[in-house]
This record gives sequence, C-alpha cells and structure tokens, in this order.
Amino acid sequence: MTFSETATATPFSDITAVSTRRKLQLALAALWLLDGILQYQPFMFGAGFPHMLSGTAQGNPAPVAAPITWSATLIGHHIVLSNTAFASVQVALGLGIAVRPIARAALAASVAWSVGVWWLGEGLGGLLTGTGASPVTGAPGAVILYALLAVVLWPAPPQVSRALWLVLWGSEAACALLPAARAPHGLSAVFGAAAAQPMPPGAGWLDRHFASALAGNGLAASIVLAVLCAAIAVSVYLPWRFAVVGAGAAAGVAAAIALAALIWLAEAFGGIFTGTGTDPNSGPVLALLALAYWPGRRTEVAA
Amino acid sequence: MNAPVWLGYILAGLMLTVSGYCAARLLTARRLGKTTELDTDVMHVVMGVAMAGMLVAQLRTLPVAAWEVTFGFATAWFAWRLLSSRLSPGRLSRGRGRGAGTPWRCRPTAHLVECAAMLYMFLVLPAVGPPAKVTASGMPTMTAAQARFSLLALAMIVYLVGFAARETDRLPALAPARLSAAVPPPSAVPPPSAVPPPAVPAFLAPRCAVLCKIAMAVTMSYALVLML
Repeated sequence: MTFSETATATPFSDITAVSTRRKLQLALAALWLLDGILQYQPFMFGAGFPHMLSGTAQGNPAPVAAPITWSATLIGHHIVLSNTAFASVQVALGLGIAVRPIARAALAASVAWSVGVWWLGEGLGGLLTGTGASPVTGAPGAVILYALLAVVLWPAPPQVSRALWLVLWGSEAACALLPAARAPHGLSAVFGAAAAQPMPPGAGWLDRHFASALAGNGLAASIVLAVLCAAIAVSVYLPWRFAVVGAGAAAGVAAAIALAALIWLAEAFGGIFTGTGTDPNSGPVLALLALAYWPGRRTEVAA
Repeated sequence: MNAPVWLGYILAGLMLTVSGYCAARLLTARRLGKTTELDTDVMHVVMGVAMAGMLVAQLRTLPVAAWEVTFGFATAWFAWRLLSSRLSPGRLSRGRGRGAGTPWRCRPTAHLVECAAMLYMFLVLPAVGPPAKVTASGMPTMTAAQARFSLLALAMIVYLVGFAARETDRLPALAPARLSAAVPPPSAVPPPSAVPPPAVPAFLAPRCAVLCKIAMAVTMSYALVLML
C-alpha cells in the first residue's frame, strides 16, 4: 500500500499528523465556533443583550465604564447588525484557527478580539470592581483566557508560558480572598445561584449540595481555594524531569483541571442552558489551558 | 426583533444546497469514474431536507414519525458500522482497508452522532412534558424544567463543533496539488513482479465533501443550541 493510494482512495484518512499543539488549537477553534453559535441565539438579537453588556460597567472606574456604556448603547441601536457581526466574527475566528495556512493570523486576531470583548463585553472581568471577581464566578474573565490560550498555543516561549500561568493562577488566588468571595455566604451564594438556574438535574443537585456545605464557611473555603490556586500557580516551575517532583507538577496541572470542572459547575456551565449564555465561561478554557501545560507536553506545545 | 427568522431561512437554504449537492454527487460520481462516500452522501441528502424543515416551518415535508423512523434506522446503521470497525479494524478503519471494495467508507462516529442528534431533535423533545412552544423560525424550544436531556444535547454540540474544526483542519491537505504531491517517487514504486494493488477510483471533489460535513455539523449545532 503506498501513500498515494491512501491519499487518493480515502481522502479522509489521516494523511496529516496532528501534534498536541495543533489538537489544542483545534479545541480552541471549536470553542470559538461554539461561542459564535451561542451568539446567534434569539436572546442576543433582543434588548437583553445590550442590557447585559451595560451591566458590566457597574462598579468599574469611569474610564473603564464609559466605553462599555457607549458601546452597549451603540449595539442596542443596531442590535441585529451588530450581533450578527459579533457572531460571524467568532465563527470566522474558529474556522480561521482550524485552517492551517491562516491559523497564526487567526490566533493573533483572536487575541485582539478577546481583549476588546474583555473590556467592552465583560468589564475587565470585574477585576476593578473590587467586590464581584472570584474564581468561581469566572474571574479574571472567560474571554481573556481565550487570548491567553492563543498566546500559549502560538506558541510562546516556555518562560513566557510559565509566567502567564503564574500570573493567571496567582490572580485567581488573590481573587479568592477578595471581600465578596471570603464572606461567610459568599461561595455558598454562588453555588446556590447556579443551582437556581436551568441545568441538567445532576448538576443542579451537586450545586445545591455544595451551596449547603459551604454555607457559613466562606472564609475557610476561600482560604483553601486561594492556597490551591497558589499551589497550581507555582506547580509549572517544578522540574518534571524528576520522578517525584514531576509527579507534583502533574498533580498541579491535574488539580487545575479538577478545579476548572468545579468552577464550571459554579458557573452553571456559563448559563448556556438558559438561552442567554454567550460562551461556556471560564471552566472549559481553564481546563484546556491546563492541558497545554501537562508535564511532557510543554516541550511539544512550545515547539 | 426576537428570533432571527432570517437566519433560519439562510441556514435552511444552506441545508437544501448541501442536500442537492450530495444528491448530485450520488448521481454523477459513477458517470465521472470517481468514487464517493455513499452512506455520507445519502445521509446528507436526507438530513439536509429534514434540517431545512426544522429551521423553517414552511419547508417541512414528511411527518415527524417518518423522520423518527428514518433517523432511528440511520442511527442503528452507523452504530453497526462503528461496531464493525472496532471489531475488525482492518476492514473499516484507516488506510487501504477502510472502504476498500465497498463504497460504504465514511467515518461512522461522526455520522452516528449526527443521526443521533437528528433523532434527539425529532423524537426526544416532543415527548418531554407539555408541548414545546415553537419559535417563528420553526424550532421548538424547551423550558428549563423539561431539560432532562440537555446534557446529552450539550455533549453532541461539543462533539459536532469539534468535528467541524477537525474537518476544517483537513481542507488544505485535500487540495489537488497536495494530493498529487503525495505520489511517491519512482524508487518507491514496487517492482513489476509484485502484486499490483487494486485500482481505486479517485474521490470526487473531496474538499466539497468536507465543506458539506462542516456546514452540516455547524448548522446542527445551532439547531441543538436552540433546544438547550
């Protein structure tokens, strides 16, 4: 059997190898596609969408809030046109990343788009509001994680990738200790609110039990969460070549994936079961990001 | 404006185009001396018509029960194909073995999910609770309390967008120049004494076939999202 026969007779067979980095790029492409499809939902073509955008201005400093309010007003005046453009851009980003010859250009465009949406659509993830940002509510903002993932998968040099990971999980640790997050019923309220949203029955059950278990224990839970985030942050600096230490590095990344799953549960899957979710929120992106840092894959992803 | 009715019309038009194109592939492939994925093209013809009817109420053709039977059979067929490929990988899996001697050569997993998604949309939703309300675009919507199967729908959406991304990744490799470049140098050609491999006709318009798969996967994901 020759290669030409394979290529000619069965063009859908694996005639091109897919590296780990490319697989992760395709996963990012799929996420953008999903976001674009979610952006085409009927809710986004109504008044609720610009209202949702303008709501992210609350609590932000005036220089940050003013452009958010302005863009939300503008979008509200041309909702069909603007939302169609937003959705189409996201679908185009997804398809662009998936097409190899233009993948890097699409990754660069996705970074620029993510930063814009992070500001005008997510109010910088609520980081400057001082109260609302918490890892379990999506801090530092789902869409900025897309940009971070695109940079890591560009690929960025290992030192830069590790520094980004440290900054990300370090900021998650800091957010976990903000006043709203460490309040006695802070974390419990987040899980309770998630349980109140339309969700698959099993997930709602889990959210209710977490809410009940965390009620009144917000401070202790926040400290545990912050310590865990800090440990995850430094785990990528462990030399994974050595068996024992390497196991610690792998455990750090595995903990990041597990925590991402818990965060996604607290985020009620990004509200995608409500018909108003614009993306699956930060949980899946954090998990995808962690996969890029899996010990042994870092070299391949960075290659 | 609430529901993007115009979007339903655009996607329905796209689905009918895919359906018509795949029907043309089935009719012309043999005449052109080329091969195609029979099961894929047959399913795309049927799915295109069914999806158009789901997206635009005026384009509904067959009763729901008929679609349920159709996609139930198709789901069983692709499940069997998947099982066969797992039990005897050499017969259906990759490379020469996949589809050699038979035009039934598709990737069964993707089509199994697509057919299951169609069956889900036709069969499961009407059976959940009181009658679902129908949007202007013809798509039924499901209230939160009725979303017993929403996790299944989400899993299918995730698979389909991943499939669309993966298929898009294959597009450049299917360019005619890339395929012809894959022809081995003369030294790699086996000596005349060796048993020549069976002649396999070239595949008909592989990139167009992949574009149909991408369009179908993305549109089906959108239809499923509307039902979450």
